[in-house]
Amino acid sequence: MNETALLYNFLAVGGVLFSLGLVGFLVRRNMIVMFLCAEMMLQGVSISLVGFGRYHNDWGGQMLVVFIITVAACEAGLAMALILMLAQRAGKLDSTTWQDLREEGLPAYVDHEVPEESAADQAWPHLTPAGIEPPIDRDALAHRSRV
Amino acid sequence: MNPLLLAAADKAAGLTARDVFACPTFWALVCGVLGLWFVLPARFRFGNAIGSVLLAIAGGLFAFDLPLLGPRLDQGVFWLLAGVTLAASVCTISSRSPVYCAIWFALSLLGTAGLYLFQGAQFLGVATIVVYAGAIVVTFLFVIMLAQPEGHTMYDRISWGWFPKVFGVVAAGTLVGILTFMLGGLKDASTRPVSADAVAAADQRLQADAGILSDHHMANLGRHLFAEHLVSVEVAGTLLLAALVGAIAIAAYGKQASGGRQPPEGFAARIEEALR
Repeated sequence: MNETALLYNFLAVGGVLFSLGLVGFLVRRNMIVMFLCAEMMLQGVSISLVGFGRYHNDWGGQMLVVFIITVAACEAGLAMALILMLAQRAGKLDSTTWQDLREEGLPAYVDHEVPEESAADQAWPHLTPAGIEPPIDRDALAHRSRV
Repeated sequence: MNPLLLAAADKAAGLTARDVFACPTFWALVCGVLGLWFVLPARFRFGNAIGSVLLAIAGGLFAFDLPLLGPRLDQGVFWLLAGVTLAASVCTISSRSPVYCAIWFALSLLGTAGLYLFQGAQFLGVATIVVYAGAIVVTFLFVIMLAQPEGHTMYDRISWGWFPKVFGVVAAGTLVGILTFMLGGLKDASTRPVSADAVAAADQRLQADAGILSDHHMANLGRHLFAEHLVSVEVAGTLLLAALVGAIAIAAYGKQASGGRQPPEGFAARIEEALR
């Protein structure tokens, strides 16, 4: 296999993956999706590192990816604890609720229009009930049936 | 200085508009930027369909411009793995339900693990699946379950506004464009014919003594890690301990600060409404 071409291909894939994570981080408002995009950026960098490691026949590339996985795991644990705390105070995962942390002089972001959900989105699948209807359980009512 | 950088600087000096427009990667990036803009949240009625078509065209043009690997089967496997990874990543950033985002990200991690296995990094391939897809994504799903009781919320259907959307995708396209431009010297080097002896020597090196004592065995990763970078390993272990203690402390402090096990107003109201 052409090793230089392999390196080029892997750097290209890693670069595109990093850019996609960058776009997702800048555009999305859900704190968890923003964090997922940060993890995607780390994956892009890892692919480039493994590519370089193979090209130069050096174990250092893979070793750095092992450390990236370690640090990403630590970061995920702490970030999830913090995000849960923030979500418990605000009641939702929107990062707009914390926009008072912005720089001075910047205008607040206000939602001007919210797109309505189309009818197709709100058609959740229905299963035909089978058998005798069981008695209503209040605990089961609070259970989320959709994701 | 880096010869690649010098070659790219020389090429940039003599770059004309015609060269730029003749390059498939440029059109791939333009299509890709447009397609991404269509596919991101706050899209209109046919935004998803138009965006996916544009992204498919962009992917095809981009793959057309990549140098060939050599054996057909290797090329096909690489394109399949890279295609799965990038398609799943696009779906991650554009999906409107955060659970679907997490699941698409898990698929992207599978593609990444496949790419690691393709390159001979077997430990990393398995470690990515076990640690990233198996632990980190599952943690995300638990947090989504605890923090967002309903599915398509308002803030998942729109993004920050038109400015971050437009300039985010343009910045991403520019970044990939600059990267492929700077690596142009590498692409030229890859198309130069490789001598037959070099290929034979490389094949022989890869196939000779695949046992644990050879240079290419994965056990050498552990040797390299613990022999030459022992301090880094110890520091990483301490970091893990600090993160563990920190996460538990944050969770305990949060529970204490909110005065016990009272759910906040938002949650209580939602549960009441669901029970009604």
